Amino acid sequence: MSSPAANGHLDHHHDHTTSTGIPNKKLLWWAFLASDCMFFGALISSHLVYRLNPPPGNAVPTQVFNIELTSFSTFILLMSSLLMALAVNAIQKGNVKSTRTMLLGTIFFGCIFLGGQVFEFTHFVADKHMTLSNSIFGSTFYTLTGTHGTHVAIGVLLLGMMYVRTFKPTHGGSLGRNFLHLLAFAAAAGVAFLFFVPGLLEVIEGESLSAMLSHDAKPLLLGAIACAALVWFARTSNPAVEFGEKNAIDVEAIGLYWHFVDIVWIIIFTAVYLLEYL
Amino acid sequence: MSAPTAPALAAGHHEPSKFHFYIQIAMILAVITGIEVVLVYLPIVKWLVVTTLILLSTVKFMFVIFFFMHLRWDKVFCTILFFIGLVLASFTMFSLMKLFASDAAKPLTAAALDFARTTLG
Repeated sequence: MSSPAANGHLDHHHDHTTSTGIPNKKLLWWAFLASDCMFFGALISSHLVYRLNPPPGNAVPTQVFNIELTSFSTFILLMSSLLMALAVNAIQKGNVKSTRTMLLGTIFFGCIFLGGQVFEFTHFVADKHMTLSNSIFGSTFYTLTGTHGTHVAIGVLLLGMMYVRTFKPTHGGSLGRNFLHLLAFAAAAGVAFLFFVPGLLEVIEGESLSAMLSHDAKPLLLGAIACAALVWFARTSNPAVEFGEKNAIDVEAIGLYWHFVDIVWIIIFTAVYLLEYL
Repeated sequence: MSAPTAPALAAGHHEPSKFHFYIQIAMILAVITGIEVVLVYLPIVKWLVVTTLILLSTVKFMFVIFFFMHLRWDKVFCTILFFIGLVLASFTMFSLMKLFASDAAKPLTAAALDFARTTLG
């Protein structure tokens, strides 16, 4: 009996070559996400326990939080999940060009979310004087949201690696080129969420654009060069690529991780931010 | 979206497009988020707001895992595997919250702490 894969039929949800009928990569990711649920469960409950019994000298969350910015970040993360789902949908139809666009969109939204978090943390420390060690609230808050932010940053890196992989040519070595492509991506994403997005948020908050440009001139220049390099890599790439419908499971696996950071944020947004306003 | 590549068309089998379906799900999630933010500012009794927020978050959570993460179309084993972790995490959270809600778990006031230090040496 010939397998569905041998007939040219790719069943993206079921793999008849494994004993469970589920592709091993997908099974691995689901098992990892199940364990990560417990990890975040412990962090969220630690935060809530100390919020129920606040020790003396704790920061007042409603005086610290900026709920408008957090709501915006939540919306951005939800929309990034949409783009991720569309990227999986596109590669399942073998549409590599559309997959690249959707992956870049997801990365872009991920960088906006991370930039919002960098801006938020900077203001909490500089203006609200809430550090990791001067109150229990600060310790549990930064640990929880910082761990989530690290997950998002890892997700952005994984998406970037997947994006670069979509350019791998069918024939010929391309290791050096792919490495430089990934380096350009990492530089552009790093500058975006460490300098560009927080800088734009500062401008929205009242700082002048020229002050922001002069303050972060060097990193912004580096980011612009990295973006130009990304465009160059995309335009000069070999049109015959190895990546295609057969890689749908790889994109789907990264997508599972990305959606997971979204559902964790759904819980954090309600439990850590919204409930404080009651 | 641009047309699929030739090798993909040659494969002869494609998932039915869920493009519009995903857009609809995302719009529902965005609207629920908007409702959540507005809800905390409305003059409604606290328990009702808390219950509604938990309910709305659960709905968002389920929408993402069943539709965006494809659990709706995957083998049921994936759902069982993920829910093992989720249920364990929920029980851990519930247990910790119950445990630390007791009077003995409440932090001492500054005066009581001083008294305890003096008494116990």
